Amino acid sequence: MRFARSLFALLLLVAVSATAAAPFPTLDYKHRTLSNGLDVYTVQDRSTPTVAIQVIYRVGSKDDPEGRSGFAHLFEHMMFKSTKNMKAEMMDRLTEDVGGWNNATTYDDYTPYYEVVPSNYLETLLWAEADRMASLNVNEENFKSERDVVKEEFRFRILAPPYGRLFYAIDKNSFTTHPYRRPGIGSIEELDASTLDDVRRFHSTFYRPDNAVLLVVGDFDQQQADAWIDKYFAPVPRPSIEIPRVNVQEPARGEEKRVKVTAPNVPLPAVAMTWLAPPASNPDSYPLAVAESILGSGESSRLYARLVRGEIAVQVNAYADLRQDLGLFAVLAIMASGHDPAEAEKILREELKKLQETPPSEAELEKAKNLIITSALREREENNGRAEALSRAIVLQRDASQVNSGLGKLQAVTAADVQRVMKKYVGDAKAVVITYTNEGGQQ
Amino acid sequence: MIVFALLLVAPLFAQEQTTPPAPSAPHEAKIPKPSEKTLSNGLRVIVVTKHEMPLVAARLMVKTGAEADPAQKAGVAGLTATVLKEGTKTRSAEQIARGVEALGATLDTNARWDASVVDVNVMSKNLGKAMEFLADAVRNPTFPKDELDRERQQALDALQVEMTEPRSLAGFVMTRLLYGDAPYGHNLGGTPQSLEKITRDDLAKFHRANFRPENSVLLFGGDVNADAAFALAEKLFGAWPRGTSSAKTASTVAKPPEPRVVVIDMPDAGQSAVVVGRQGIRRSDPAYLPAIVANSVLGGGYSSRLNQEIRIKRGLSYGAGSSFAPRREVGPFTARTETKNESAAEATGLVLDELNRLGSSDVPDAELTPRKAVLIGNFARGLETTSGVVETISTYALYNLPLADAEKFISGVQGVTSASVRTFATSNMAANGISVVVVGDAKKFIEPLKQRFPNVEVIAAPELDLNSATLRVRKLKE
Repeated sequence: MRFARSLFALLLLVAVSATAAAPFPTLDYKHRTLSNGLDVYTVQDRSTPTVAIQVIYRVGSKDDPEGRSGFAHLFEHMMFKSTKNMKAEMMDRLTEDVGGWNNATTYDDYTPYYEVVPSNYLETLLWAEADRMASLNVNEENFKSERDVVKEEFRFRILAPPYGRLFYAIDKNSFTTHPYRRPGIGSIEELDASTLDDVRRFHSTFYRPDNAVLLVVGDFDQQQADAWIDKYFAPVPRPSIEIPRVNVQEPARGEEKRVKVTAPNVPLPAVAMTWLAPPASNPDSYPLAVAESILGSGESSRLYARLVRGEIAVQVNAYADLRQDLGLFAVLAIMASGHDPAEAEKILREELKKLQETPPSEAELEKAKNLIITSALREREENNGRAEALSRAIVLQRDASQVNSGLGKLQAVTAADVQRVMKKYVGDAKAVVITYTNEGGQQ
Repeated sequence: MIVFALLLVAPLFAQEQTTPPAPSAPHEAKIPKPSEKTLSNGLRVIVVTKHEMPLVAARLMVKTGAEADPAQKAGVAGLTATVLKEGTKTRSAEQIARGVEALGATLDTNARWDASVVDVNVMSKNLGKAMEFLADAVRNPTFPKDELDRERQQALDALQVEMTEPRSLAGFVMTRLLYGDAPYGHNLGGTPQSLEKITRDDLAKFHRANFRPENSVLLFGGDVNADAAFALAEKLFGAWPRGTSSAKTASTVAKPPEPRVVVIDMPDAGQSAVVVGRQGIRRSDPAYLPAIVANSVLGGGYSSRLNQEIRIKRGLSYGAGSSFAPRREVGPFTARTETKNESAAEATGLVLDELNRLGSSDVPDAELTPRKAVLIGNFARGLETTSGVVETISTYALYNLPLADAEKFISGVQGVTSASVRTFATSNMAANGISVVVVGDAKKFIEPLKQRFPNVEVIAAPELDLNSATLRVRKLKE
């Protein structure tokens, strides 16, 4: 799950789930590592006078301290407060005020901070990102006020929308051991328990050049940009203490688990089913992306045809949510009125079984690949989208070159590959089934 | 020794830059130049070529939308758009979906205020094939009854979900408060009661009256040259006959209803939603630019005054903002925020205070210049994608504005003065003409809200009737 600093800029983003390459435009990135350990990737593209900058820290919700779920995300908000050389919200002065924008997102495994600015402000932003990497200088007052904002974000995303508590329940019930089980948005109680000292400790532990990746994509002069990167980032010291890493193995599921979740104001019941899936770096990610598309992308997808056109559900989703350590394969249906989650569950199981037992047609494979490639191209229309695609390859797939080679791998996926991964991760494994209904009976 | 000392000192000079480095000279944004042509049947075709990516966005826009919904049948325009691609003279709904998606394309239809649009996004090599599906849906829909029934049920279910979410429900109620029973006053997606009344004939009639070449614009943005796009337009739409009756005249908006303060009581709400609003401006209003600059100061983007006061200073919300939705006729101006139930009255008061402040003192240049930059940056970035280009240019075409005005947008915004912002805000954004809607757990905020608004009306969520300006279910009919 992802939680961002603000919704304003988030609306600009298009979510996609795979990557594209030749014969389509490739991302010609240059990579180097500074002596303090900072990984630097640059992609020059001078077609528009803007530049996207991302600083990604290899820390996320899975690194929340014990008893402090939601902390990595709360911390992300604090990175927009004061540093040694910047007043609170100065990042907004340097981006929004000059016609750009900024945001940050806390994922389970990583936290990118990103901005898009007119390209003549590149040096300014490199200075600012280096400054907040080197120091954070927050006080009790802005900590408490920002913690209140995050509690409102919790209400906005989880408590107010009718299906917020369903999404909250998915990770919590899908993992037993790995910290992915803890909600990245946290809870009111654990947010209240966090302190300013936690903030300082988190920065000194995880916010350092040898735990970060800098991406610069867009309109710049290579030599000039390299010189600025050296000037502002090279002096940031690399601490000597080791970076703590989550090293927990999620055990295979021994049996199927059923969970009932209720919430107020749920007009239509829903069902979600999840299975454990491999990490994003596993080559099976490509056949899983194709399976996800065959099942759930578009109105010609199998689940849409059976459940939505069949008037049993109003909405269906299938997704392979692959993260750094492992992932989930999930299907979800919100029922049409008068229909019971059990009906959807039966059909979802039938369709998942069919995809294991019968090879999908060439036409269906081709359609899935075309849909994935087109949405990858659309993501890459903008500098920030290019940076996002590259950052997923670097952090989640642990291999930057996948941003360009991924399409070839996707094109090579066969019907047998799709059957094999569906059998391996779904057919031969155990489901967690979550049913979601209105508190005190149906409305 | 001297060398040693220098080595010690030099890195300190190099690393300790305590203020942000100044920007270099700006690089100008390119505003793409559209080409256009009108076919002999009156269809206007506009093309903006950009070859950076092998993608094209195309849109067929009909210049009539939900404002033309018949009385008591809110949702006709919306269902017409939805069912448009659910069956044609030669293709079933499944055939259309499968055919479009096999190309990796998307085909989306929707009705909005003032327009109905059919959008295609596709790789440029598949443009011709994808456009055949778009043209077939626009010209030859059959509106099968079973597809209408299915889409109606979907719309009813979706509406049921939206009506349990405070922020969407607050928007529905505000729409009625601003326009009463006038054409912009109903919910765009209809109500549970109005959707039930809509027949296949209503859709066919709406299509026949409005989906016609002389009432439409076809737009292309992306990796296609103007000549190729014009040829494609001629091939697919050249024989599309003009309509037979005279074109529908523009809707008229009645005098604004008296402002009201309405609470929708939803006892289990996890958060309250606050919306305030009044009638705003037409898109053709000469004060359009001062209006959007004034809004940018008040509630456009992260650092606007509303978000500063409500989120950044007080931690009362995840976000607060405002917007004008200028239309062919006078469109709404609204400001919104969401907050815990206990602080709903405080947040409402803060929104109103900011409205008054905007008209009571000049916005200093140090604030005005960055708020203009927000508008300029958003505008320029909106033109970076194929779908963004089509969206931007289609607004100019919809409201019959010269397409060349897009090139003047940036200088126009730069030319807005603080005096014109203040003048505009005083007469068009002040709190005294404003309506207020709060949806949430009323017992947690009603007392402080009453202190500011003794005339507040409280309606329990199950008693709410979106079909009439009174907003209340008429018990006698049941």
